[in-house]
Amino acid sequence: MIRTSQTILGSGDLLREWTARTIRARYQQSMLGWLWAVVQPAAQAIILAVVFTRVVPIDVGGVPYFLFAFVATAPWAFFAGSLTDMTDSLVSNMSLVNKIYFPREVLPIASMVARLADLAVAAAFFGLAVLFYDAPLPLGPLIAMPAVVLVHIALTTGLGLAGAALNVFVRDVRPILALVLQLWFYASPVLYPVEKVPASLRPYYDLNPMVGIIDGYRSILLAGALPDGRSFALAAGISVGICVAGYGLFKAVEYRFADVV
Amino acid sequence: MDAVTFEGVSKHYRLGLTRTSLPSLAAEWVRGALRPGTRTSRGDDVLWALNDVSFSVRRGESLALVGPNGAGKTTILKLLANITKPTAGRVHVAGRLSALIELGAGFHPDLTGRDNVFLNGAILGIRRTEIQRRFDDIVDFSGLERFIDTPVKRYSSGMIVRLGFAVASCIDPDVLLVDEVLAVGDAAFSQKCMSRIRALIKQGTSIVFVSHNLYLVKAACEKALYLSAGRCLCEGSTDEVIRAYEQDIHDERARRCAVEQAVPDHGGGIEITSVTLNGAPAAGGPGLRNDTPVDVRIAYVAYVDFGRAHVSAFVRRSDGIACCMLRTSRADIDIQVRAGEGVVTLRFEKLQLCAGMYYVDAYFLDESDAVVLTPAGVRSAWFTVAGDGLSSPDDSGVFEPGAQWAHQPAESRAPTTPVHATEGPARR
Repeated sequence: MIRTSQTILGSGDLLREWTARTIRARYQQSMLGWLWAVVQPAAQAIILAVVFTRVVPIDVGGVPYFLFAFVATAPWAFFAGSLTDMTDSLVSNMSLVNKIYFPREVLPIASMVARLADLAVAAAFFGLAVLFYDAPLPLGPLIAMPAVVLVHIALTTGLGLAGAALNVFVRDVRPILALVLQLWFYASPVLYPVEKVPASLRPYYDLNPMVGIIDGYRSILLAGALPDGRSFALAAGISVGICVAGYGLFKAVEYRFADVV
Repeated sequence: MDAVTFEGVSKHYRLGLTRTSLPSLAAEWVRGALRPGTRTSRGDDVLWALNDVSFSVRRGESLALVGPNGAGKTTILKLLANITKPTAGRVHVAGRLSALIELGAGFHPDLTGRDNVFLNGAILGIRRTEIQRRFDDIVDFSGLERFIDTPVKRYSSGMIVRLGFAVASCIDPDVLLVDEVLAVGDAAFSQKCMSRIRALIKQGTSIVFVSHNLYLVKAACEKALYLSAGRCLCEGSTDEVIRAYEQDIHDERARRCAVEQAVPDHGGGIEITSVTLNGAPAAGGPGLRNDTPVDVRIAYVAYVDFGRAHVSAFVRRSDGIACCMLRTSRADIDIQVRAGEGVVTLRFEKLQLCAGMYYVDAYFLDESDAVVLTPAGVRSAWFTVAGDGLSSPDDSGVFEPGAQWAHQPAESRAPTTPVHATEGPARR
């Protein structure tokens, strides 16, 4: 039976092909090509470094501010870039969605995987930057890295699938997303350390799963410690919940996509 | 075994949901409040794209969907392709489905033909290893060996269609949907596609075929379904169904003619009032024989003494193809039109047409044989030509000359008389 059992699980080939197509299409006729995966978060980190070391100095605990910022801006670029691409992925391929059946989640998930490739490039660059600053990078805590990345992927996938599905029906999703991402950036510990947040606000602040995720990256890569258990567990729980809910929403409305012309 | 089952399927689309933005909704609400009498447009307007349609296609069978635009043909294909779900009823497709719809829709312009073959195959749900195995066949069929590593954006639209067809058809689907795609390529490729489709049918693939070209439908399908406004009007052998459909087209035309007839056009000074064949306005049913004479009677009324004029008549096949044009300017006849009613007759000794539906169009021209005095296509007489050929699965042309075959076999030293076989007008 070809009809009902099709999900992303049986479509590895399609996911791979579509991801390759997305990456190639993204860097078509671009001079820097995949270097953009580094340039964008690095430039953001440099700007933040200038502002928050020279203009309004922030105490980040002895780490070079550029590294402090880059371990957050690179995952943030993955997060924001994925959500934007995923939200657009169905609408910009409506001609295909209207004509041929395939598991529709392949389109948004391929957009996310393509951004994951950028994150990998940024990670390699981070390794070079660590050597340049001669910063210590203890290898032990790196064991926890896959867990943080997986939670990050789960959160991104859930939100992105929901965004992609809703955008088919209401195009307002796209501008709303841009607005939300802007606010979310400041509500996440990208340019300041988590410790700067007043303790009284922490219970609410920690409900933002990006707090646990970014703090997780920072603990492992800069402090050489495992992530804070409580805040990371909370982030993981919320992220997995969002992932399941987003996927469920997507599959529930999947068959209405073609009816919306 | 049924490859495709449609059981009491209905599908409706909600209309009137085009305006959903808040400002326009607010504007509408304000308008409604100011003028309480007017109804808002957001009613429960529902379009029944399909209404209780049932049919089935067995393995290796081919079904054509015919009907006017908006009949629901594309909706059926969408339901079969699992792109959308029926509002009511059950749709079942057994086995692997492939669709020749919007060929090359998944192609990315910046990728090469090779990359796109794999990408398009993956979209159709074919494993990479299988495409690798069939890659040479696919390229071979498309005839694009030289361009396979060229980005698709440099392809012509015909090349894209060829590659798309090659991928979609080279995977031995169990069910193949074909939607009006063969009209795109050149004639040679269309032919190649048709023979590929026939080969698939022989292998046991079931085909659901949509085309407005009834001759193509006749050539490809044994069964047909005639849809109109979401309902199934008739189902049966392709010949029967197409005849019913063409009859309806003809009736519709006749109805329109009758309406136009009520408003006589005096502009040209001459008007054709009727075109009849052997005394009848149309010859449906068993139709005309190929080998008996046919009289076309063109009755006209002139409002002025017109003087010298010419008459031309087209015999056209039901799809509009002109079979022949006959003109009085080429014949030894002088037509002097005087005010009042008159009749021009045209006699065919033998029709020499293949079995099928045809119509005769006639019009008047002025003395120079260049200015048309009566609009063409307003009066036409439809007729069917009967013959043994009606049951033939493929269309083999329009013209049936009385021709003779001969064969001179090899190894015949002694001068024997050649074997003659006569092909009569009604034989194939």
